[in-house]
Amino acid sequence: MNGKVVVTAAGVVSPLGAGLEKFACALYAGKTAVAPSPRFLGLAAADLGEFDPQPWLGSKGVRVLDRGARLLSVAAQMALSDAGLVQRAKDESDPELGLICGTAFGSVHSITSFDWSGLQDGPTYVSPMEFPNTVISAPAGQAAIKHGLRGANSTVCAGFASGLFAIHYATEFLRFGRAKALLAGGVEELCEESVLGFAKTGALSSSGCLQPFSPDRDGVAPGEGSALWMLESEETALARGRVPWIEICGFGSAQDAHRIGGFDLRAQGAAEAMELALADAGIVAANVASIVASANGSPVGDAMEARALRHVFGSRLSEIPICAPKAAFGEAGGASGALSAVVAGLALQQQASPPTAGHNHSIEGLLLSSSAQPISGEYALVNAFGCGGINASMLVRLWKN
Amino acid sequence: MTGVAITGIGLITPVGTGKEECWGALLSGLSGIRPVTSFDTARFPVHLGAEVLAFDPSEHLHRLDPALAGRTSQLAAAAARLALRDAGLDQAELDPRRTGVSMGTTSGEPLFVEQYNDIRQTQGLEAIPGEMLPRYPCHVIPTHIAIEVGARGPCLTIPTACAAGNYAIGYGFDAIRAGRADVMLAGGADAFSRITYMGFARLGAIAPDRCRPFDRNRKGMIPGEGAAVLVLERLPAARARGAHTYAEVLGYGLSCDSYHMTAAHPQGDGAIRAMAAALRESGVSPSEVDYISAHGTGTPTNDRVEALAVSRLFGSRAPQVPMSSIKSMTGHTMGAASAIEAAVCALALDTGWAPPTINFEEPDPDCDLDYVPNRARKIDPCVVLNNAYAFGGNNASLCLARPELGAA
Repeated sequence: MNGKVVVTAAGVVSPLGAGLEKFACALYAGKTAVAPSPRFLGLAAADLGEFDPQPWLGSKGVRVLDRGARLLSVAAQMALSDAGLVQRAKDESDPELGLICGTAFGSVHSITSFDWSGLQDGPTYVSPMEFPNTVISAPAGQAAIKHGLRGANSTVCAGFASGLFAIHYATEFLRFGRAKALLAGGVEELCEESVLGFAKTGALSSSGCLQPFSPDRDGVAPGEGSALWMLESEETALARGRVPWIEICGFGSAQDAHRIGGFDLRAQGAAEAMELALADAGIVAANVASIVASANGSPVGDAMEARALRHVFGSRLSEIPICAPKAAFGEAGGASGALSAVVAGLALQQQASPPTAGHNHSIEGLLLSSSAQPISGEYALVNAFGCGGINASMLVRLWKN
Repeated sequence: MTGVAITGIGLITPVGTGKEECWGALLSGLSGIRPVTSFDTARFPVHLGAEVLAFDPSEHLHRLDPALAGRTSQLAAAAARLALRDAGLDQAELDPRRTGVSMGTTSGEPLFVEQYNDIRQTQGLEAIPGEMLPRYPCHVIPTHIAIEVGARGPCLTIPTACAAGNYAIGYGFDAIRAGRADVMLAGGADAFSRITYMGFARLGAIAPDRCRPFDRNRKGMIPGEGAAVLVLERLPAARARGAHTYAEVLGYGLSCDSYHMTAAHPQGDGAIRAMAAALRESGVSPSEVDYISAHGTGTPTNDRVEALAVSRLFGSRAPQVPMSSIKSMTGHTMGAASAIEAAVCALALDTGWAPPTINFEEPDPDCDLDYVPNRARKIDPCVVLNNAYAFGGNNASLCLARPELGAA
């Protein structure tokens, strides 16, 4: 178990922008994708709408993919192409190229629809083509078929921390020498069932405005999308002539073991996740130059994160630029942690923490801004905390030889 | 790198609850397959299932209120309790921050999907109770275990369908080796669901009469439910506290067929690569494997491909390696299956016995290996392999050994 794990490419599909460049442009322009969604009766959401995967996937074999599988397959196509690792013939594809995908709600729409058609039409009339999509690992399996990914293929569910967990899991896998290259990140589709889940639990913003860390915040706007990093061991990347972008430096996670469906205001798990990530990277809080927050506008969740940040960073917190990107891409569930990791990579690359869309004032002691903020220093911290008790944090820095 | 030991086993299966009852049933060749009771199968062409009957979560749970958790979580948390007790680790001894949970599942909490649709059909979406919805996303399964036992370390679900248990045990093994936890509760769980049943019935994969893996007249699998949780800890730590060590985890291997969502690669390509990777990581050659716990669902194609993969990897020695499928007795317990089978592998190493493949009557010339037909056999294995294959072409093989053989 040794060696650096590095990022050599990225694929991003978000209502904020499809493709890393468009995503970065919109993010740094301070735009938000949160808007009334025609698919959901005008509910405020970051919705990709009638998303057409054809430009990336062609038309063959796309019909059987559910929305989650389409989003993931498109992000995978982007990352593979960016990494120069598009596989040709299936049987000749690299058996050590794999995919680890995080998701929060998984296949909830496909499984609910499948059961519903059984109720309406009788069990013998359900579609055998739709059954495989009911399993939570379906998007990862479908993307593997689509792109000829024959190495380790796995799916991770850790609530809103899923995307970050997937990157950690893949990193560990590479360190143990079980693969050469792994796509890792997350996917979430916005569907009737997940929207109803947010609505019925009172989590939705009534103002229709996701305002992380604002004293006026009143809830989340759900989002969707997919983000994947191409992770490789430094050795593999250099051997094939790639200049790595980011290095994965540390990861920490802690479970509140408190209750399902609520944040723990004591913030113990969130603070521990950050502390464990720092220890894993072998650095101290003073080395952190930029923070990408998990804050999604939840009154309790954001208070929990603010408290944990104060605990870890103390009085220096007010000097560290924070970006809360869910103001721009919504609460994208299992994709959130991966999208946030991409944001951290961009922040380091541009030496500027991106704007937090629509920000005007925040709860005391947090350095957020509606415009980009210069950063100086080596490490960016990414947080992914979920209501349900799973907290994860990751530290990354720009790769250097 | 220190070895990782299995020191506790918690089982809730269609053939019994608890290690003793389950193991006794399996060695006796008792079947847990019966007519389905949890829903009406009148509109299905098949009627058998492998349910956990008379399960009362309150008999096992101390902290978790069963009324607030779905059936998969209840089975999982109860299995975790049994595993901790079996390991002789009561809660006071666990350092919460150094104890983690990784669980596999196929469908998570599918009964909430069923309830959702039942209410939607009879009363409309407005009537769906809000408190039900946060209990569905499948990270609740390890989270409920964490709440029950006070585990605050790494916590996640790996929902890689019918191979998920092996994946989750693999993650637990890694978490300990990477120093992220001292104790990992790892396994798999799934609740019996009309959705799973409907899907497999529609694929024509469910056997009408019996589950007879590798038999020439096999007609399919039998959906089931259950949970298994293993306690994993560092071998030296287990020895230092005088714990019984059933087995040592040597390594595991994953692969993906990248071929078809439900059908196995016809040449067993992915299955071979997963087994080979597990053996390579374990530092074991195929000639050293003494027993294989087969995925062996009982469907004509899957069993043929698994036997082909084993034959290709083990060569002329393949017919000499005992390989049984307990799914002939437990049914296919989905995300719990490979975790239950990992427990069986640990018990085989611990006791020396291999459980049988029951209902085996006529060898199939297409897959003629030693399936330990119908009667348990004393084989005293040193190294065993646990195979698991899933939808999406997700393959996982786990290699276990007698603890004294490990590098500790």
